[in-house]
Amino acid sequence: MGLKSIWTKLYQTLASVRTGIFLIIIVGVFSAIGTVILQRPTSEPEDVQRAYSPETLMWLDRLGLTDIFHAWWFLLLLSLFCVCLIFVSVDHWPNSWKVYSKPIRFAEPHFRASLPRTVKIAVTDEAGALTVAERVLSRFGFKPERVTENGATGIYAEKQRYSVFAVYLVHLSLLCIFAGYIVDGIVGYRGNIMVPEGQALGQITLRDDRGGQSKKTLPFLIRCDGAGEETYADGSPKKWWSKLALIEGGKQVAAKTIVVNDPFVYHGIRIYQASMGQSSTPRTLTFAATPTSGGEAAPVEVPLNGKAVLADGESLSVLRWVPDYYVQDNEVYKKSDEPENPAVQLGLTNAKGETRKLWILYSQLNSTKGQDAPYEFALKSATWEKYTGLEVSHQPGQYGVWIGVVLMACGLVIAFYTQHVRIWAAIADDGKGGKLLWVGGTTNKNRDRFQVKFEQIKTALQEELGGATSKAGQKNHEEKTLTQA
Amino acid sequence: MSDAHVEPQRPASGATLLVLVGLGIAFALLVALLAAAKTHSGPIYGEANMLYAALVLYTGAATLYMGYGVTGIERYVSAASLLTALGFIANTAAVAHRWSVAGRPPFSNMYEMLLSFVWTLALLTLIAERAYKVKIIGSITMPITVVSVILMQLLPSDVRPLVPALQSTWLQVHVTLAMLSYAACAVSFALALMFLIQDNMKTESFQALTSAGMVAIYAAMLLTRFRSGALGVTAYDLEAKTEVMVSRGHPLFIQIPDLGWLYLLVLLSALAPLALYIVGQLKKDASWFDVASKGMFVTLMLQAAGLAIFVARVKHGQYGAPEADGLYSTALPANPFLLAGMVGSIVAGLLYLLLLWRREGLQRMMPSANDLDRVTYKIICIAFPLLTLMIAAGAYWANQAWGSYWSWDPKETWAAITWLVYAGYLHMRITRGWKGRRAAWFAILGFAVVIFTFFGVTYLLPGLHAYAAG
Repeated sequence: MGLKSIWTKLYQTLASVRTGIFLIIIVGVFSAIGTVILQRPTSEPEDVQRAYSPETLMWLDRLGLTDIFHAWWFLLLLSLFCVCLIFVSVDHWPNSWKVYSKPIRFAEPHFRASLPRTVKIAVTDEAGALTVAERVLSRFGFKPERVTENGATGIYAEKQRYSVFAVYLVHLSLLCIFAGYIVDGIVGYRGNIMVPEGQALGQITLRDDRGGQSKKTLPFLIRCDGAGEETYADGSPKKWWSKLALIEGGKQVAAKTIVVNDPFVYHGIRIYQASMGQSSTPRTLTFAATPTSGGEAAPVEVPLNGKAVLADGESLSVLRWVPDYYVQDNEVYKKSDEPENPAVQLGLTNAKGETRKLWILYSQLNSTKGQDAPYEFALKSATWEKYTGLEVSHQPGQYGVWIGVVLMACGLVIAFYTQHVRIWAAIADDGKGGKLLWVGGTTNKNRDRFQVKFEQIKTALQEELGGATSKAGQKNHEEKTLTQA
Repeated sequence: MSDAHVEPQRPASGATLLVLVGLGIAFALLVALLAAAKTHSGPIYGEANMLYAALVLYTGAATLYMGYGVTGIERYVSAASLLTALGFIANTAAVAHRWSVAGRPPFSNMYEMLLSFVWTLALLTLIAERAYKVKIIGSITMPITVVSVILMQLLPSDVRPLVPALQSTWLQVHVTLAMLSYAACAVSFALALMFLIQDNMKTESFQALTSAGMVAIYAAMLLTRFRSGALGVTAYDLEAKTEVMVSRGHPLFIQIPDLGWLYLLVLLSALAPLALYIVGQLKKDASWFDVASKGMFVTLMLQAAGLAIFVARVKHGQYGAPEADGLYSTALPANPFLLAGMVGSIVAGLLYLLLLWRREGLQRMMPSANDLDRVTYKIICIAFPLLTLMIAAGAYWANQAWGSYWSWDPKETWAAITWLVYAGYLHMRITRGWKGRRAAWFAILGFAVVIFTFFGVTYLLPGLHAYAAG
C-alpha cells in the first residue's frame, strides 16, 4: 500500500460522520469516568490516598486516570475529534456550496419525479396558470421567479437558502472553542498571590495541576492599598474588596477597587478577588504596663518593628515574636504559624541606653512578673496585618471560546429554526393532449412542517385555478392528484 | 368522544378502585410527609401559605389528571387544568414574595431552585395542554410537581444572604436557563414515554424499564450509604438547622442500624421482576411476565413500608457514627437524596400500575404516536439551545468569579455530557432521519443524564468517596 493510499484511507476514515460520533462518545465516556475517579487537580491529596489502595492508586496514576482531563491521550482524542470535524466539513462542503451557489432553477421531468411533494392541476391557460402560481407563492411569502430553459418556462421559488450553512457554523464554533481551550493550555497560566496591605508584590505561585509550587513573575507589581470585608448580620461574608494599583517600571499604571465577580483586567491579565485574610504576624501588640512600684495599669501599643515610649521615658520594643511556641532545653521554638499560644520577647530600654530583655510565655503566665523590671507587662491584644488573596490568570484563548459560543448560538438558531424550502412550477403534458400545472417542492429538514405548508399551497392553487376548469373536471383531477401525490 | 360518555356508566370496576387507591396513597403520602414538615406562619399572602395553597391545588390537579388517565372522563381535564392554573397563580405569588423578601431571584439553594422548577413545570404543562393539546401530560408532570413541593417543605427555606461569589447576574441567568432547559427535558421525557405507549411497546417492557429504574435508585442509595447492615444518613443539628460537618465539605454520616438490610431487601425485591422478565424473554414464555407483575406489587409494598420506617426512624432517635463520639440527630431535610429516590421510585411504580390496568383507555386519550414523536422533537429543539446557553452563561460566570471558564469539575463535565446526548439526538434526527422508537429511547437517555447531573453529581459522587474512605 502506497503512502498516497494510506493517506486516502486515513482521510476517508476521519472524514466520516461515524468516526466523529464514535470519537465523541469515547470522549464522553472518559469524561464520565473522570467524575467518578477522584481527580488529583480537584481533590485533596489525602482524600485520594484514602480512597484507593496504594496498588490501585499506582495503576490509576500510571494510566492517567487520576488526571484524565490533562492526560495526553484525552487531549489526543479531542484533537482527533477536531480533525474529524474539519475533514467532514471539507468533505461535505462542495455539495452544500453547489446547492447554495448554483441552485437548480428549472425542474426537468426526471428531477420532478424525485421530489417528495408534488401536485398536478389541469389547466387550459398555460401562461395564466403560471401567473396564478406566482401569485399564490407570493402570498405564502416566497419571491417566485420565471425561469426559461430550452424554450420551456417554469417558476422557481425558495426561502432561507443560507440554512445549508448552519451545520458548518456549528462545526466552526466547536473548533473555535477547542482552539481557544488549546491556546490557553499552551500559553495561558493561572496562579495566586497574597498581597499584604501597603505592599507591592509581583510573583505568583502557579496553580500546577500536579500540585507543584512553581513561581512566575508578572510584568508588573500589584500594590494593595486597602482591603476589607463586609458581613451580614449573621456573620456570613457579604462583600470582599481590595483597592489595587499596578506598578510598572516604578510608576503606577492602573488602579481599581475589585470585588468578587468584578475582576481587574490589564493587558489581558485578569486579577480576581479570591480570599481575604490576616497573617500570623501582628502589626501592633498592645500590653498592659503596671508599674512594679504600684499604681494603675496603662495600655501601651507597640508596633512590631518600632518602639513605644512609656510614661517615665523608657522605651519598649518587641525583640521576638513567636506565634505558637514550645520550650525545649531552655530555648523557645516555633510550633506553628497559628497565633494561638504566642511567646513575646520584649526589650525595655532606659534613658542610659541599657536594654533589659523580658519574656512573656502566654500559656505559662501572661505577665513579665518577677523578671526584675520597673514594669510588669501583660499581652492584651494585637492588630493583625491584613492581606488580600488574589487569583491571577492569563487566558487569551477565552476570546476564541466566547466567539465560538456566539457562533454556536447563531448556528443552532439557523439549524433548528430555519429550513431551506424550494418550490418549482412548470407546465407539463397530461399524456392525453391536455396541459397540467405541475408544482413540486422539497426542504432540507423539518419535513412535517413543510408537508403542512405544501398542503396549504396546494389547496390555494386548486381554489384559484378552479375557476379556469369545470367543476366536474376539477374534482376529477383532484382525486387523481391525491393518488399521485 | 363517544367513548368518554360510555365510560362513566360502567359498573364499579378496577378503574374506580384504582382511583380510590391512588387518592388514598396520595393522601397518606401528603399527611405523612406534612406531619414531618415544619409548621407555617406569616401573612396569609406570604410565601409559605401560598406554597401550601399551590401544593393542595397541584395535588388536586395531579389526582384529577390521573383520574382522567384512568377513566377517560373529559370533565376531569378541564377541572384539573383549572386547578393547575390556580396552583400556578399561588406558586407565582410564592415566587414573587420570596423574590421581594430576598431582593434577588430565587435560585440560590435547593429549595429555591425547586420552587422555580415547579413553577416552570406547571407553566409548561399548561402550555403543552393549550397549545399542543397533549392533555394527558399532566398525569406525569403534576405528580412530579407534587413530589417536588413536598420535598421543598422538608428543605431549609429561610432566606439566606448570598456569599460574594454568588452575587452575579450571570449566575442568575445561568440558573434560570438551567431550570427552563431541565423542565423542557422533563416534558420531552414524559412525551417520549407516552410515545412508547402509543407505539405499542409491550407492557412487560415498561415493567422491566420501571424495575430497572427502581434498581438503579436503590443500588445508588446502597452503594453510597450501606455500611455493614446500617444505612448512613447525614447528621443534622436540629437547633442550628444545619448539617453536622466533619470537616469542610465533608458532612458527618451517622448509622441507622439494620435499615441497610431492609433496603437491601427492597433492592432484591425490585430486581426480582427484572430478572423474571429476562427469564421470560430468554425462554419466550409469557407466563413469567405475570409473575413479574406480581413482583412489582410486592416491591411497591416493601418500598412504601421502607419509606414509612425511614421517616419514623429519622424523626425519632439518635444515632452514632464510627468516626465521631456521641449520638447525633438527623432530619428529613438533611437527606433529600434518599427521600427523593424513595418517593420517585414509588411514583414510578404507581405509574406503571396505571399503565398495567388502564392501557387501552390511556392509549385512546393520548395524541397519536406520530404527533408525540414530533412534539418530543420540537421540545428538544427548544431545550437544546437553552442548554447550550446555560453552559455558556455558567462558564462566563465561572470566568468572572474564579478566573477559569472551564475546570472539568463533575457538575460541569456532566452538563457537557448532557449536552452531548441531546446533540446526538438532534444530529441523528436531522442527518439520519432517526424517528420513532430509537429517538424516544434517546430522549429518555437524555433525561436520565439530566437527573444524574442534577441529583447524582451533588449527592451520589461525593458519597461514593466519602464512603470509600471509611
